[in-house]
Amino acid sequence: MQKILEKIQLDAWIAALGEWEILAPAMEDGIWGYHPLDGAVRLDHSNTTQPPKGLSFPQREVFFSFEQIKGEPPRLTQKMPAATRRAVFGVRPCDGAGAVRMDKVFSDHVADPYYQNRRKNLAYVGLACNKPQGSNCFCLSVGGSPVATEGMDVLMTDLGDRYFVTAVTETGKALMSAAAKVFTAPTAADKKLVEKTHADAVAQPQRAVNDVDAAPAKLKASFDSPLWEELARACIGCGVCTFLCPTCHCFDINDESTGSSPIKGNRVRTWDNCQFPDFTMHTSGHNPRESLGARLRQRVSHKFQYFPENFGMPQCTGCGRCISECSVGIDIINTVNKVTGHVG
Amino acid sequence: MINIQDMRDTARDLLAKNEVRAVIGYRRGSSGMNAEPVVITDAAQADELVWDPTCFHNLALYLVEDRKFLAHTRAKPGLPIAIVAKGCDARAIVVLMQEHYFKREEVYIIGMSCEGTGVLDERKLASQGIQASNAAFDGDDYVFTTAQGEKRIAAREVMADRCLECRIPYPREHNVVLGEDKTGRVLAEPFAALKRFEERDAAERWIYWERQFDRCIRCFACRSVCPMCFCDECVVDSISFPVTAQTTAEEKANRVRWIERSAVRSENITYHMTRAMHLAGRCVDCNECERVCPVNIPLRLLNNKMEREAREQFGYEPGASIGAPALVASFLDNDPEKFIR
Repeated sequence: MQKILEKIQLDAWIAALGEWEILAPAMEDGIWGYHPLDGAVRLDHSNTTQPPKGLSFPQREVFFSFEQIKGEPPRLTQKMPAATRRAVFGVRPCDGAGAVRMDKVFSDHVADPYYQNRRKNLAYVGLACNKPQGSNCFCLSVGGSPVATEGMDVLMTDLGDRYFVTAVTETGKALMSAAAKVFTAPTAADKKLVEKTHADAVAQPQRAVNDVDAAPAKLKASFDSPLWEELARACIGCGVCTFLCPTCHCFDINDESTGSSPIKGNRVRTWDNCQFPDFTMHTSGHNPRESLGARLRQRVSHKFQYFPENFGMPQCTGCGRCISECSVGIDIINTVNKVTGHVG
Repeated sequence: MINIQDMRDTARDLLAKNEVRAVIGYRRGSSGMNAEPVVITDAAQADELVWDPTCFHNLALYLVEDRKFLAHTRAKPGLPIAIVAKGCDARAIVVLMQEHYFKREEVYIIGMSCEGTGVLDERKLASQGIQASNAAFDGDDYVFTTAQGEKRIAAREVMADRCLECRIPYPREHNVVLGEDKTGRVLAEPFAALKRFEERDAAERWIYWERQFDRCIRCFACRSVCPMCFCDECVVDSISFPVTAQTTAEEKANRVRWIERSAVRSENITYHMTRAMHLAGRCVDCNECERVCPVNIPLRLLNNKMEREAREQFGYEPGASIGAPALVASFLDNDPEKFIR
């Protein structure tokens, strides 16, 4: 389904989606993020500081609450997330690609009900990037595209005073059908213009990871490379790169006590981070990823070796957040290129 | 004005004459405009060093990392390590020496005066709509390289608040120093941002802070970038809880966790308050914590508050003198509180 939406009709479309909670990009506290809609939607955002990942994989998820009254069996109450249908407007193609990778992690090998319950109620209305959002965009070199529909339910392309709107999934069709009369059929000229817009978008210069297909084997051969420590020399070991990543998904599970008499609390999943000192800490005190170089290798190899080995695609989608937001210049493009460049 | 070549020559000489084992400085990053920290060990690398308005980083952090590495590998430090240091960075180094983290002779300080300027605030630059690929000092101006050509701006228009409010933009503690000492310059009143904030009433301030802390994602960039946050085990991590074959499930479950991993208001506030208290009389207002925060939490207000308390209550200036005791390791004979005497 392909339609034209005049920009002034965007709010009318959203108004027709009464059954959906709408999230849209907004600049709050000096940063772009996806927030519940407040007023009119404006899709003039550069990419958000945080990807929409947290909507399906929140930083904190309560699995169940527990209570132990003396002499009675422990009482467990599962906490399944509420089934609110949410539509997110303005998602960039790198983050759509991120959602595909997250889906694989939480669906392919193990079905995670918490993730899936949120995800199945989540629709992404994407916005193609007519030009790169920042100087560190590199989606093209990791198998993506600034106009990709991967992971989207709908993809919109900005054509100046109107959007070219393509339904990608059945959910996308339903979203568009909910307000059929705000859309018009595209003319041949519209179709030609969107093709040209997409071709121009793909032709925009971007930074690039060299030969991503060869990366898994080359990284495997570089496990003991001294380059890792060298490239991580300035790393401060914070969690910015992974917490802002659209595909990092490591987590930790803890019991958080809320009372001791009777014993009660919650079993909680929180994001974890391979850059933290206790990430792979063993109970013995041994830490196989003790140094910053080993942790950089873990992050980069997961994106460009382990994930491709497991799922047949790079995990990195080229959004560039880990580069732009790193305070000390750790650069995943430079890292991959330098390390793999040393392998024949 | 500083000639960058002088800094490079200094670094080259120190390495070539084997007076230091490494130089911690800045070089051009591989992405965008900003400089990045670098540790060079070869005199031939000296020409990689840069000095420009994006040299934000407080490199004293890497002295701490170096010390931890030496301790971990049980290596002898041998030659001193050299470091490029702005006024604030040099004060941080002094605080670390006051706390006996390392000795004066183990560090060679290549001091860099900020003269009439300071470092750039990237957010201020972005709000002016400027995207630059390079930044340079030129007197009291910054000169940016943009796609539209060279752009010159008075530094104070896009300079970091902490630099505008800086009282001593000069590394008093140094082995060698480049640039003029312009201590006494006044670009903005010290604690000006804090003062403006304190004009709000308490209820309004609380609402403000709730909003700030609710946003925290606990990436710990603020802690990780801080040279004063050198604890081997931070209150938020639990890496030294000894678990043996004899440790019971109950002992594991009941280990003390001061702050849960959940990034929720109560835990976030406890984390940030703990950090602010631990920085009282130690924070030199390099403000790296606020710069690196990906969600814009105004941490400087907290740290400034503690700094001003120490200054007003005890006349304490962090990082002023190696010989002076640390704030929490000293007392005054005329302390107004009776319990201390």
